[in-house]
Amino acid sequence: MLLDFDRLGALRAVLSGIAVLVGAFLLLPVIVIVLLSFGSSRYLQFPPPSWTLHWYTDLFNDPDWLASFATSAEIAIVVAIVATLLGLMASFGLTRGRFRGRETLRAVFMTPMVMPVVVFAVALYALFLRLQLNGTFIGFVIAHLVIALPFAIISICNALEGFDKSIEDAAVLCGASPLEAKLRVTLPAIKAGLFGAAIFSFLASWDEVVVAIFMSSPDLQTLPVRIFSTLQQDLSPVIAAVSTVLVALTVLLMVIAAFFRRGKPA
Amino acid sequence: MTRPFLSVQGIEKTYGAVVAVQDVTLDIAEGEFITFLGPSGSGKSTTLYAVAGFLEPTKGDILLNGKSLLDVPSNKRNIGMVFQRYTLFPHLSVADNVAFPLRVRRRPKAEVDARVAAMLKLVRLESMADRMPAQMSGGQQQRVALARALAYNPPILLMDEPLSALDKKLREEIQFEIKRIHNETGVTIMYVTHDQEEALRLSDRIALFNAGRIEQIGTGHDLYEKPASRFVAGFIGNSNFFEGTLSGADRSIRLPDGTAIRGVSLDRLAPAKEDVAIMIRPDHFRLHDGSEAAAMLRGTVTDTTYLGEYTQLAVTTSWGAPLSVRLPQHDPAVSVQKGQPITLTCAPSNVRVF
Repeated sequence: MLLDFDRLGALRAVLSGIAVLVGAFLLLPVIVIVLLSFGSSRYLQFPPPSWTLHWYTDLFNDPDWLASFATSAEIAIVVAIVATLLGLMASFGLTRGRFRGRETLRAVFMTPMVMPVVVFAVALYALFLRLQLNGTFIGFVIAHLVIALPFAIISICNALEGFDKSIEDAAVLCGASPLEAKLRVTLPAIKAGLFGAAIFSFLASWDEVVVAIFMSSPDLQTLPVRIFSTLQQDLSPVIAAVSTVLVALTVLLMVIAAFFRRGKPA
Repeated sequence: MTRPFLSVQGIEKTYGAVVAVQDVTLDIAEGEFITFLGPSGSGKSTTLYAVAGFLEPTKGDILLNGKSLLDVPSNKRNIGMVFQRYTLFPHLSVADNVAFPLRVRRRPKAEVDARVAAMLKLVRLESMADRMPAQMSGGQQQRVALARALAYNPPILLMDEPLSALDKKLREEIQFEIKRIHNETGVTIMYVTHDQEEALRLSDRIALFNAGRIEQIGTGHDLYEKPASRFVAGFIGNSNFFEGTLSGADRSIRLPDGTAIRGVSLDRLAPAKEDVAIMIRPDHFRLHDGSEAAAMLRGTVTDTTYLGEYTQLAVTTSWGAPLSVRLPQHDPAVSVQKGQPITLTCAPSNVRVF
């Protein structure tokens, strides 16, 4: 290869240095937040004068924060399930279907990923005003579904494209009905892709803030929205604690996703 | 004539203007091993897939024991199939793969277990029942696929180039296994391949496909010795073709150098045809021993290769056409030298004219 890392000589050190700096730039804020959440200073002094779990106690004793946790989790779980089911059906159509406009349709499914989120949020807000869905659980789920669906479709389409249709045909010839063949053979064979779809859909909803700000009401606030609105009033270390919990959950899900990816048969 | 077991009647399949198969008709006897041979795109797999029910013919019918299969969905046809690609269910063990068709049919557990054991014994993979497909070689996977396809005692087994992904040595080994399994089970097999050697080795009869049609159906011997068309003669085995003309009241064949060949059967030939193609297999030539009547071809030896059982000669005919000749060792071929003139002969019954 032209750019072989082993043959770059002195440049290697420079490149490694840059890589470390970029990594630090990305990770340091997260590490600082995590450290602050355990610090005793009321005013987010860094480095923390001493260590405490006080802010976590506050957090878990505050019904508003707990309600937001529950709201976020409920929405994300429903979004993950529905996005995976819809994504599965869409993916079957996109990979197996032979119809005009298939590639266009695929592109349309992907638009939420490229469209400015705020444009989409305003449009949805205007539509939901008429339908009276703003501030409702259903409204939240629908809005986040649109954002999560491209992730689910990409994950499941990849899995289906890597799955040889002949295997399903073999199951049919073995006597399974087309539906039974899909349930007993195709779905188990692409389960890594399905789990991936569920986890990425969950995360897409879980840390989504722009659309959520438009959808939320005083009674129904997801965690990122509550962080944002709390932050506007006062800079409490509780926010650092909430952020830490968010980060921990996200990392956990990413690890699970990576585990399924590795467990996928070659 | 008794009713055929499986009867393919005038199958045609078109995709828009493209004709995949046309007028494919054949009858298959119970327990027969029939091979569809042909170049890729000749319609052999299309015909097999029509029998499997994965595509619906535009025209024609497929009858099993006199009853049409066309309205029966694939999963109710009770047909076994081994595919070109590895199609074991990746999340199931070998034993569970073989058990799958039986479980789908809701057979009792004891029967499933007994049948799985018997099938794995048949393909000699008893020791691998608990393996996952990913842990097996391609040859082993195809043997499991064979066990799975036979598990429910299907009357017909379809095989779509099942060995094409394997290397030559393994391929021959599994060909032998397939032949043994055919003998032991008596299942009717329809086998697709583009490998003529495989077709000759395995089949009772071969249907040779070309451009969506069957060129000829017959035993390997029929196709080799009595090819019905120039395509068949060229596809099966090695062959020499040269031009000739038909002339005179006795319609004798004349070679480009004027030599007349008599006694060749012209039955299959269109009556008015004058320019013909003459075909002689390399191993049908003999050195001319001097008796005038049989002398046929004169030429010059351009190369000789000693190959043990026979000697391969490259000959240029007197009118300049290249000729491939195989002389058995008992012919005095050893004495033939490069650059030497040679006179060859061939029994009229071994000369084909198209």
